[in-house]
Amino acid sequence: MSETNGKCGCDAEVESPGKRKLLGWIVGVINLGLIAAIVGPVAGFIGSPLARKRKGTWIELANVDDIADGSIEEIPFSIEVKDGYRIAEHKYSVFLRREANSFTAFDPACTHLGCRIKYQQRQHRFICPCHGGVFDDSGNVVSGPPPRSLDTHKLKIEAGKVWLYKEV
Amino acid sequence: MARETLTPESPVEHPSPPTTPEEKLERDRPGLKEWLDLRLGWWGFVRKNLDEEMPPGVGWWQTLGNLLLTLLIFQFTTGVALAMFYTASPEGAYQSVKHITYEVPLGSFVRGLHIWGSSAIVVVMVLHTLRVFFWGSYKKPRELTWVVGVLIFQVILAFSFTGYLLPWDQKAYWATVVGTRIAGTVPFIGDSLVVLIRGSEEVGALTLTRFYAAHVMILPAILLALVGLHLYLVRRHHIAGPVVPQRGKPVPFYPNQLFKDAVVLLFGIGIVIYFALAFPPSLEALADPTGTDFAPRPEWYFLGLYELLKIMPPGYELLATIIIPGMISIGMLILPWLDRSKSRHPAARQWIIFMGLAVILLIGVLTLKGILETPVHPEGGHSAVANFVPLT
Repeated sequence: MSETNGKCGCDAEVESPGKRKLLGWIVGVINLGLIAAIVGPVAGFIGSPLARKRKGTWIELANVDDIADGSIEEIPFSIEVKDGYRIAEHKYSVFLRREANSFTAFDPACTHLGCRIKYQQRQHRFICPCHGGVFDDSGNVVSGPPPRSLDTHKLKIEAGKVWLYKEV
Repeated sequence: MARETLTPESPVEHPSPPTTPEEKLERDRPGLKEWLDLRLGWWGFVRKNLDEEMPPGVGWWQTLGNLLLTLLIFQFTTGVALAMFYTASPEGAYQSVKHITYEVPLGSFVRGLHIWGSSAIVVVMVLHTLRVFFWGSYKKPRELTWVVGVLIFQVILAFSFTGYLLPWDQKAYWATVVGTRIAGTVPFIGDSLVVLIRGSEEVGALTLTRFYAAHVMILPAILLALVGLHLYLVRRHHIAGPVVPQRGKPVPFYPNQLFKDAVVLLFGIGIVIYFALAFPPSLEALADPTGTDFAPRPEWYFLGLYELLKIMPPGYELLATIIIPGMISIGMLILPWLDRSKSRHPAARQWIIFMGLAVILLIGVLTLKGILETPVHPEGGHSAVANFVPLT
């Protein structure tokens, strides 16, 4: 059942409105299916890092006796990390603070935007070189834009050594 | 009273009532949807394309162009996704493709879509070209549509040649060593040409980065421009219609032809998805320039050229590497001017049809010979051909 009407402003053979609508629907459904067929797998593939499970591990940081009471020291360490297709030796460090027998490990990333902080021994301050964030010895914000105190890592003392828990 | 004193030069203060829906919308402060449509003219553009008149007799054979376009969009999408995980260095390429294939969720499927998609593109492109050839649709006024199509054909072959190296396994490496060596047979400048293509005397890190840059930057830019021009020309000169004009009135593109397009897309893309799932990609051993037990083989659609080289007697190599492929390419490019007949009917252009059939037969037989002689790889059949052979 086809009829000629002026719907397309041409002299063409035009299908009945019912058939036009039905075919339009089928075309729409097929197109949506095709879009889903490509967008779905590609989104899952690109978004797969979101599903990656982080693995935690204990790292030996220092001998308890090597850290003087009241001091803050930067301790570097490295971990083998699965970095995409490769296994890489990633370098990290923490600022280890000792007060009597209590240890704290501050993450060196400024809580503002992640720049690496430096410790100024004389002023007893952690300074962020990027936007002027300042933290005290306890990691609390003294001035500048950082929204919260320095992040700390989980520690344990075992067999006379300080161990740090790190998730990568 | 003031209106009566107006002269023709004086502006009319009160505008006349709007006459078209567009004018009415302009004055009635349109909503966002109407405003966007007024500015972009999107709906008018869509309508114009949906209402495009098709000559009677246009049908399933005219769906191949749309399928090809959709396959290219799929290829582009999976390619971008793969590039996010790929590393173009001899140290990283193989490991990153291995990571994509065996470790990243959906990586095997996305890579499978890309690999099988490339084969599907070649198949559909050949069918599309053959349809236009036998229908004589390249004739006046569609000469440039054909020429641009032939250029797209060559760009796509360049895509598969450059993409083949990227996994940096034995198959990729040796196919590229042999493939690039073909340029060395060009008289006088051959050796320099090989260095220029490889980026070095030997296939190595610079070849990989060169091929990668071509595959993901240069060729996509060229392809995008050519496909845009091709589509513009198709719309400018419209679909050619059957060789013998059919009786009846023209039919608008929507809904019948678009419906046929959608059905073909469903099957075409469905087949690629099936192959990606049923024959997942894998990797051969890491490229080894010192390996002597590996017989280099190209992707199946280059097997015709490969076999041609094999059957050529010594001393006639240039014929297989440059002269015959070159003549076929140039012949295709100038086809609309080689074929002087006014009629599109095959009977009216017998020698062109004969030449075309000869070329198709040559490539077809050589490709088939190559496929049949492809050994199924002992490691489980990794190449597209090796995967395909058990089915035939």
